[in-house]
Amino acid sequence: MKLAGLKSIDDAHDESVWAITWVPATEARPALLLTGSLDETVRLWQPDELVNRGKMTGHCLGVASVAAHPLGFIAASASLDSFVRIFDVDSNTTIASFEAPPSEVWQLRFNPQGTMLAAAGGGSASVKVWDTSTWNLVATLSIPRPEGTKPADKSSSKKFVLSVAWSPDGRRIACGSMDGTVSVFDTDRGKFLHHLEGHCMPVRSLVFSPVEPRLLFTGSDDQHVHMYDAEGKTQVGSMSGHNGWVLSVDASTDGAALATGSSDRTVKLWDIGMKAAVQTMSNHNDQVWGVAFRPGGMPGRLASVSDDKSISLYDYS
Amino acid sequence: MASVYIPVQNSEEEVRVALDQLPRDASDILDILKAEQAPLDLWLIIAREYFKQGKLEQFRQILEEGSSPEIDEYYADVRYERIAILNALGAYYSYLGKIETKQREKEEHFILATQFYNKASRIDIHEPSTWVGKGQLLLAKGEVDQAFNAFKIVLDGDRDNVPSLLGQACVEFNRGQYSDSLELYKRALQVNPNCPAAVRLGIGLCRYKMGQFEKAWQAFQRVLQLDPENVEALVALAILDLHTNAAAGIRKGMEKMQRAFELYPYCAMALNYLANHFFYTGQHFLVEQLTETALAVTNHGPTKSHSYYNLARSYHSKGDYDKAGVYYMASVKEISKPQEFIFPYYGLGQVQLKMGDLKSSLSNFEKVLEIYPDNCETLKALGHIYVQLGQTGKALEFMRKATKIDPNDAQAFLDLGELLISSDAVAAQDCLKTARNLLKKGGQEVPIDVLNNLGVLHFERGEFELAQQTFREALGDGIWVAFIDGKEKAPSVDDDASIFQYKDMQIFHQLEKEGHLVELPWNKVTTLFNLARLLEQLHNTETASIFYRLILFKYPDYVDAYLRLAGLAKARNNLQLSIELVNDALKVNNKSPNALLMLGDLELKNDDWVKAKETFRAASEATEGKDSYATLSLGNWNYFAAIRNEKRNPKLEATHLEKSKELYTKVLAQHSANLYAANGAGVVFAEKGHFDVSKDIFTQVQEAASGNIFVQMPDVWINLAHVYFAQGNFPLAVKMYQNCLRKFFNNTDSQILLYIARTHYEAEQWQDCKKTLMRAIHLAPSNYTFRFDAGVVMQKFSASTLQKPKKSVDEVRSTVAELENAVRLFRQLSAASSLHFHGFDEKKIDTHVEYCSHLLEAARVHLTAAEHEEQKVRQKQELARQMAIAEEARRKAEEQRKFQLERRMQEDELKRVRQQEEHFERIKEQWKSSTSGSKRRPSDMDDEDGGHSEKRRRKGGKKRKKDKYSRSRYETEEAEAEQMDYQEAPEIEDANTNYQESPGHMNEQDDEENAQNPLEAAFGIEDSDVEDEVAPAGRRRRAWSESDDDDEQQERQPESSPRRENSADVQSDGGEGGDKPNGDFDDED
Repeated sequence: MKLAGLKSIDDAHDESVWAITWVPATEARPALLLTGSLDETVRLWQPDELVNRGKMTGHCLGVASVAAHPLGFIAASASLDSFVRIFDVDSNTTIASFEAPPSEVWQLRFNPQGTMLAAAGGGSASVKVWDTSTWNLVATLSIPRPEGTKPADKSSSKKFVLSVAWSPDGRRIACGSMDGTVSVFDTDRGKFLHHLEGHCMPVRSLVFSPVEPRLLFTGSDDQHVHMYDAEGKTQVGSMSGHNGWVLSVDASTDGAALATGSSDRTVKLWDIGMKAAVQTMSNHNDQVWGVAFRPGGMPGRLASVSDDKSISLYDYS
Repeated sequence: MASVYIPVQNSEEEVRVALDQLPRDASDILDILKAEQAPLDLWLIIAREYFKQGKLEQFRQILEEGSSPEIDEYYADVRYERIAILNALGAYYSYLGKIETKQREKEEHFILATQFYNKASRIDIHEPSTWVGKGQLLLAKGEVDQAFNAFKIVLDGDRDNVPSLLGQACVEFNRGQYSDSLELYKRALQVNPNCPAAVRLGIGLCRYKMGQFEKAWQAFQRVLQLDPENVEALVALAILDLHTNAAAGIRKGMEKMQRAFELYPYCAMALNYLANHFFYTGQHFLVEQLTETALAVTNHGPTKSHSYYNLARSYHSKGDYDKAGVYYMASVKEISKPQEFIFPYYGLGQVQLKMGDLKSSLSNFEKVLEIYPDNCETLKALGHIYVQLGQTGKALEFMRKATKIDPNDAQAFLDLGELLISSDAVAAQDCLKTARNLLKKGGQEVPIDVLNNLGVLHFERGEFELAQQTFREALGDGIWVAFIDGKEKAPSVDDDASIFQYKDMQIFHQLEKEGHLVELPWNKVTTLFNLARLLEQLHNTETASIFYRLILFKYPDYVDAYLRLAGLAKARNNLQLSIELVNDALKVNNKSPNALLMLGDLELKNDDWVKAKETFRAASEATEGKDSYATLSLGNWNYFAAIRNEKRNPKLEATHLEKSKELYTKVLAQHSANLYAANGAGVVFAEKGHFDVSKDIFTQVQEAASGNIFVQMPDVWINLAHVYFAQGNFPLAVKMYQNCLRKFFNNTDSQILLYIARTHYEAEQWQDCKKTLMRAIHLAPSNYTFRFDAGVVMQKFSASTLQKPKKSVDEVRSTVAELENAVRLFRQLSAASSLHFHGFDEKKIDTHVEYCSHLLEAARVHLTAAEHEEQKVRQKQELARQMAIAEEARRKAEEQRKFQLERRMQEDELKRVRQQEEHFERIKEQWKSSTSGSKRRPSDMDDEDGGHSEKRRRKGGKKRKKDKYSRSRYETEEAEAEQMDYQEAPEIEDANTNYQESPGHMNEQDDEENAQNPLEAAFGIEDSDVEDEVAPAGRRRRAWSESDDDDEQQERQPESSPRRENSADVQSDGGEGGDKPNGDFDDED
């Protein structure tokens, strides 16, 4: 497996780019890239030339997360002011805008079936789930407080939820928190299942393998990438190699490779079978906040965004 | 049988004396001789016979009687015989003196001999035989020049006098004039071809000395033919054989030596050579016997020296250094000039080196070096001595020379490399590389420690790839290879166990079960450890941790491996595991200072202040106060204790500061180059307000810290930035913070972002401040303080915009948006505070919300006014623009006309050119004028941009205001610098802020006739607020941020932020939120 640089856009945003996602192709157009930045805008790009297809304003404070519906028509973005905005990708019309009091919103993810939108609920120590047809809040999956602690001491800020991921079948949600624990929920019953331990620093990104529904990859500030069996509660592997926080992880569609972006300014490609890094890209010169494989068929594409305001697109083969 | 006949006096009879039947008592003969008044030659014959029979006593008796005064009187006219008797006695005593070993008796003999010769001379001064005798006596006494004269006298009379020819040859030989000596021997042989074999021996020796070994060999061979029992010739031949250095030669030589020995067991030379031989064959007992005999039979200096040397060598090789030293010393004493025989000096040097007498050893080796300036071994030995004497420079010099002389001496390169490691890593690396290549070329195995050192050198130079190769080469084959190549991986672990992954040994049991050999030879442990360190550096922490565990699996006492694992766990923030690992290390050695210090750091991180202090103390005691890290840690502890207390007790603070300063100074006194102590001292100075001093210190530390990959000191950058900030140099402070953030933290440290925000805030760069805070929130989402600060900034920005006398609609509009955001932020915080503890006073947030809302209302009024205003302005602008457009159109038309006119003119002119070439010059000029006309356009456009310049002016005004502000700040600071204790600074700044705000206040009222009371109240609130925020001075300390390392240097980072409390404004008392409960310290102390 190999990455080859295709195109880079410097100054794609006016400020640090913090979020990236692929908007799946529709009949009318190919898959697009959606990026969110500290400059309070969300922008659309058409690969492989990364042509700017639009700039969406409407957020105050930086855009921390973007997510696209699997059908490719609608997308969601969330900013530091905790507003979630749902909009039509092609027309940029706002479909819905809401927040999740009393807490802020971090990572957003649609479920693979497109029926739900999950958001990492930060200080509320929970994952919020909305129905994508009515945009009503349908569930709040709370991480239970550790036993033994008095409910009075409001120490749950340690379980501050940063990241969220859906299993391919949509039946599990995993979320990563500031203290490094990963919590797994049963979405059907809305129930907390168990914790996955091993990290002791914030887990800013996690993703399920698209081919093995139980396999979960997590990236943490402790510079490691862990592989868990999300059902069996076991840590299958641990991979080190970054010299900085692992800010973002994404698994390739074929399930063979993993890409990570780190504060050490590099993007690494990992061979999941070998549990080892096979390639390091260092074309960014600041933290790499997001990496994303294009869903669907060949040829494989990987995109990354960084604090250096740039977007990079790679060919994955 | 030969016999002599003594004539009987006064008769014809004779007494026959059979020479082989001489009476035992010489008196009998003497009586006869005296009685019969026998001729003196008979006396001589009989005496000689006694001598030949070895009856020396009788010989002497007869001769002495024969030279008595009575005889002199009686035989007064028989001169020759009398002289002969005297000469015989002289020769006898010369011989005695020659062989006598005791100095006093030797001298007595010589004196006697001299007396006899002198007596002989008195009888006849011209008798050649007397001169010959004298010459030989002088030779025996070693007075070569006088001997020469004596022989010369004889030779002048009779140039073919064989004895004196021989004597003269001997003299020349002793003078080292071997060719002259050879000539004399040859002459002697020509004169008397039948002379004794000894003459040929002389020839042989001369040839030998002249280096003509072949001829020498022939000569000695001839001697042996003539006299098969000539020991000297045998020995000489043996030596020649030995010198061929071939096995056969040596064997033949030894056979001859042995024969010589059998013939005459007292030839010192032969004894020495035999001893030498047996030394090499290892028969030390024989060596001792032989050399002792040799010593007993000779008093020839060089030979004795040789014997002593052999003896010493024998003891030396047996390891009896005392005796060896004594004999080397004896050997050396026998040598007048070291040039003659240098080996004992070398041996003595070696023994003295071994015995630790470096000075004497040094002088001996130096003597050797004088003679053999290119001897590698000696150079190396000298190098070693200088190393031990601590004179590295000289040691290096010698080692370098050794390697230069013999570029194939791997050992020399190794030694040189090891010497250089501490001083010049690059050169050391080269040396070790050369050594390695030499060893490899020679087919020898490269020692593992060489490869290890080489690897470490690569490592230190940042050549990780090479380092890894070298370590792998050093380690060779083993279980580790599988891990390096990634063939073996840590097995998946149960989630419950995963938290203890660095203690897991299951993997090795598993491997053993699978039939792998899990072995780790002791000499490879260090290298494996180094490799693990390298892997850590390469961020392959997983494999590194496996290696550390492998080391512990085999050698559970290897403390460093525990500490590294603890460090890894700590870097991953797994404090519990880290503490457990350190405790494991302490179980092995509960006094290990490194482990104790690490534990202290961990406890500090865990906020166990009292425990940490005790641990540091224990560590300090374990090292008897000599470990600077322990002292530093205590210093840091005191510093933190001084600034951590929220409700400051000035007295306590002063004591703690003083104590920490004292500790830092102590470290500095021990190690003047300790960066961390210097940094700490700088912090204390800054804390006391001596910014210039601290700035100097920090700058120096920063310079020193850059350029070493093992020293990472972000703190000093931060501290320097703090100082710049305190001195009001905001741009530089920001730059410094940013560089630090980028260089050391991958831009991930939200605390430094907070410092930057604080600086922007102080510099009134609201937008930059806000952006910075946004980044901080993004990096540390759970730190609500940042959100509060962001709210404050937005509020501040809005307030300051509204206070501006002139503001555009856009500005007001953005102000409104900002205010709305601020309100939202505060409301969120207020809501969240019911869920979380983050240290905010809800009431305060509510006040902020209230104030912002009021401001918002005011802003909306502003907005409508501004929008109205803008409408007007826009209309005006529109009008102006239209006018401008009209003007432009007019101008364009005009230009068009002009242009056409010109073109026409040009065409005309061109025509004219064709017609009249002499007008060419003028046409050119006209062209020029036409270009200058078109240049005017841009300047016209400038006028339209009036709006711009206005803006610019406004900006300028703002800048001026800022200048004034900072100047006033400077003055205050300067004025008060002396007595200003640090914590007063915020108050002063406060005053500034208030001062700044009050005119704004006025403005507001002027501007807004309908300014409502609540608004004023709000201002009041804000002011009090600021003070409020300052007072508790959220002095946050960052705990020890650095990853721990048993490379202690790295640990030594007193984390400090002297200017922390300044950030109070931005940070507000929310500072506590991110921090630990504060009660702790008070209670326990």
